[in-house]
Amino acid sequence: MSDKIEAVKKLFTSKSSRVETNKGDTYYQDLFAKCEARLNEMRAQTPANRLDFSELLEENGIDRREFMKWASATTAMLMLPPMFTPLVADAAVMMNRAPVIWLELQDCAGNSEALLRADGPKIDEIVLDIISLEYHETLQAAAGFQAEKQLDEAMETFKGKYLLFVEGSIPMGMNGQYGTIGAAGETFHDHLMRCSENAAAIVAVGACATFGGIPAASPNPTGAVGVMNVVKNKPIINIPACPANPANMVGVILHYLLTGQIPELDSLLRPKFAFGYRIHDNCERRAHFDAGEYVEEWGDKGAQNNFCLYKMGCKGPMTFNNCSIVRYNEGINWPIGVGRGCIGCSEPDFWDKYAYERPMADAKIKAPTGGVEKTVDEFGLGMLTAVGIGIGIHAAASAVAGKREKSGESHE
Amino acid sequence: MNQEYKQVKRMTPAMRIIHWLNAFSMIGAIATGLYIGHPYYQTFIADGAVDKYVMAWNRYGHFIIAIIFDVTSVAIVYLYFFSRFEKPYKKVIPNAKNLIEFKDVVVNLLSLNRKNEFNSTHSDSFNTVYFTIFHLLLLWMLFTGLQMYVWGLGSGLSSIGSWWPWMLHVATDWTLYVTGGSKMDVRLSHHYTMWFIICWIVFHIYYQVWRTIFWKEADIAIVIGGSKFVKQDKANKK
Repeated sequence: MSDKIEAVKKLFTSKSSRVETNKGDTYYQDLFAKCEARLNEMRAQTPANRLDFSELLEENGIDRREFMKWASATTAMLMLPPMFTPLVADAAVMMNRAPVIWLELQDCAGNSEALLRADGPKIDEIVLDIISLEYHETLQAAAGFQAEKQLDEAMETFKGKYLLFVEGSIPMGMNGQYGTIGAAGETFHDHLMRCSENAAAIVAVGACATFGGIPAASPNPTGAVGVMNVVKNKPIINIPACPANPANMVGVILHYLLTGQIPELDSLLRPKFAFGYRIHDNCERRAHFDAGEYVEEWGDKGAQNNFCLYKMGCKGPMTFNNCSIVRYNEGINWPIGVGRGCIGCSEPDFWDKYAYERPMADAKIKAPTGGVEKTVDEFGLGMLTAVGIGIGIHAAASAVAGKREKSGESHE
Repeated sequence: MNQEYKQVKRMTPAMRIIHWLNAFSMIGAIATGLYIGHPYYQTFIADGAVDKYVMAWNRYGHFIIAIIFDVTSVAIVYLYFFSRFEKPYKKVIPNAKNLIEFKDVVVNLLSLNRKNEFNSTHSDSFNTVYFTIFHLLLLWMLFTGLQMYVWGLGSGLSSIGSWWPWMLHVATDWTLYVTGGSKMDVRLSHHYTMWFIICWIVFHIYYQVWRTIFWKEADIAIVIGGSKFVKQDKANKK
């Protein structure tokens, strides 16, 4: 009986947004042993590239102490207990053993930018620098047939082992002819299918690769969709946001390197360690929200005093992401910190449904009748007016009919 | 007025209590809900944030009202099937008798009370269907509202135990898919439904007043005293 209850519970909770932050000592002891064994195995392998992590840290003036601070913060971000810190540090050093193939499809390359972060690399960026990036369409020197050869070789060498990072949406319109790649004119769709076939897992980074993003915004001329709409029967990890936070990319790769598994995902295939909580619930301006203190217009007294941006259209209450905790650029700042609202870039259809930078009640959206764009309240008031007019006509007609009845004979 | 009138009971005390609880809850839910959707009054005053708590109080009020609605909804669902007074579900079944009655009442309304050919001693089919629509709208508000509520329980914990957010996910996650896939769709739907309910209320009040004036059977008294009056010969006819 208890088995059945557990099974039912599992059925309903497996894909919900519930975050299990403490899974018990036995679980973590087991996981620790597994991770240790895996790391020893990795250590025995020859690195896929010659970059040395410790040297890179030194070159960038980051000492051991700072690195260990980063390791413990990353362990916490992955929702692992503190005893995993040395393992996370080890895994980071062995990042050059994680083969990654990076596809660039229909997008603005913003996630590659986030990955490379040109200004003074910090630890997250260094970690991403030394991953064994076997093939990256935007970054590699090779072109044409040479690049394709490199891709084929990488896929052959690391068959079943490489992580396939995908950036950008897949245009499905016109048989996929909106986007082609390579000398043979392979469509983005075919390219993705070919590369995903032998991947260990697929990591879709950014809003476009996960849910279609801006290319898929109404009216979606190219028929853009996300990776999970196209690729089936493969583990997919979605790291949405525009751009995806490098800390979360590192988190996913580290988790894979450390455990050999993909992290626990929510119903939208987003890792729970990063997308388990609302922005709103960890927002530094939350107290102003509860107090009813809002920025009413840009530059007013409220804005100067860091009041809540809800009335300027902040979508923090509807958005799940960890930017209010880990922030961007190594914790330097994030949208709300610079005084502008969240546009919900890690949620599906964010461009059409979140990014209008007005409170939901004031936003022009497609009314249920279709066609003309209205706010919900305009539509509602219109409906109410129609009802009012109908009632008015009916009441007036009834009154007239009633009078006529009184003077003439009654129908009774 | 030389005819004999017969008094007929139409609402039990429990039904009347639920009615007024719903009516006042509705006013409160709309006032607080509009504030939550778009804070329409300023709190930019000298007090510190910690003393004001205006949005939080609005949300608190909205949630308490929601709980009252939830509880009365359960009572109403029960009464629909098991009321010893009148079982409303019998009037919603689309059988020939109900369809004819429904049509007759609509014709009466549209013909400005020229064709008053149905038995008005009991809650007619049109009335019951109209109320069923209301309860369905309310149920929809309940599901979409609880879906939005559970977003704040990301930890999977609550003061009354982890079963609560778990149950909310099980009971309301489907609203995400039904409304269009994103959280914003649920929220928009919740907001639209408020307007449908407001329109429902406006017609409801009009129709009750209209009935009282033109049917001359004191229908408006039902919700206060629980009974109305029907002409003796008409009551006996059917």
